[in-house]
Amino acid sequence: MDESVVVTREPRLDEPRLSVRSIVVAGVLSAITILMGWTRLGFVPVPTAAGNATIMHVPAIIGGVMEGWIVGGIISTIFGLFSFIQATVPLFKDPLIAILPRIFIGITAYFSYAGVKRINEYAALVIAAAVGTLTNTILVLTMATLRGYMAPGVAVTVGITHGLPEVVVAAIITVAVVVAWKGVETGRGEAKM
Amino acid sequence: MSYVANAILLLVTLGLVLLSGVSLKYIFFGLKPALPLIIVLAILQLLFYGDAFTPHGMASRTYFRWGWIHITNGSVQLVIVSAARFVELLFLTSLLTNTTTLTDITHGIEDMLKPFSRFGVPANELALVGTISLRFVPLLGEQLETIMKAQASRGANVAHKSKLEFVSRARQVAAFIVPLFVDAFRRGEDLILAMQARCYVGGRGRSSFVRLRFQRMDYLAYGVGLVFSVLMLGLQSYFPF
Repeated sequence: MDESVVVTREPRLDEPRLSVRSIVVAGVLSAITILMGWTRLGFVPVPTAAGNATIMHVPAIIGGVMEGWIVGGIISTIFGLFSFIQATVPLFKDPLIAILPRIFIGITAYFSYAGVKRINEYAALVIAAAVGTLTNTILVLTMATLRGYMAPGVAVTVGITHGLPEVVVAAIITVAVVVAWKGVETGRGEAKM
Repeated sequence: MSYVANAILLLVTLGLVLLSGVSLKYIFFGLKPALPLIIVLAILQLLFYGDAFTPHGMASRTYFRWGWIHITNGSVQLVIVSAARFVELLFLTSLLTNTTTLTDITHGIEDMLKPFSRFGVPANELALVGTISLRFVPLLGEQLETIMKAQASRGANVAHKSKLEFVSRARQVAAFIVPLFVDAFRRGEDLILAMQARCYVGGRGRSSFVRLRFQRMDYLAYGVGLVFSVLMLGLQSYFPF
């Protein structure tokens, strides 16, 4: 994402930089994450014991896929912070469970997308959604087990009943959003992969 | 895990609430959504954690035993202490959000991240991400409302389906989410263009309209907080029950 900014002063090499595009996309997608949490739109009812599959991590996956791993990482960190602030369950009042594992959602999503993209972009989107979702499920449950909130057996059950519907839902939404946006971007008004 | 320590903490948090000038009713209101959870947790702990925990320096006493239900002085203490901790935690977090505006929190985060910019953390940019996202939430909320009305007027099925049809549920959600994302991206593109047109080059060398400075009160608050935490940690073993 190269941009033609007129730099009034040569930036020093050791100064950290994020492009304007990265800043804005990360901010906007984080806003969607927060909105989905507030309106409960981010929870899709599923037939398992858990009751709800979350899609609040989908903006992180989309950010990772579209703008790279840094943006994905920032959005997933904000998702973690938000779920930590909003949590009513003791499990997510622990920052090691609510925030730390979430950082990696956008990062793994980006790298799996980048790996498969050359073969088939459509498949790459599905795989990125699946990997991002499983990163969330598996790392959160691992941390919960390590911190002693859950027995390993329970964690595996929750992982399967919770993780699989979430993968399906996240894949549907990720593909729909990215395809729709790319359609808009090319000005065709329809999806083009 | 001590009654005395938690009573002290509870009193201190209540004192802080009174000091802050936020009405107690407001703070208690924040407790409401968490209540069912606290109650369920308390019942589970009371019934099944009898053998897991014995109070510090006391013999385990059984109050009630029936099958695998086992209530001891340990489980009673566990219930009371964890409920108290939970209340303290919720009070403190709602105190922060009720007394500090989001912009102030963002400025605070920016200042706190500043030392890390030496190690490659782009503090200003990250704070800007936070500001943008908070600024966009109400905008996108309005947009979401418009989208929902638009989809409903087109006859979109918003009725509840059975949980087994979660794929079609996901498609339903996608009908709202996809336009929301596209709109957000479009607004984002406008913002990118506007920022580039104004030659935004990141946070370095920028001055700020709002400058937060440490006042005597801030140092005092930090000092008291630190001393209190150290005392509570250090005197842990002196609270017998």
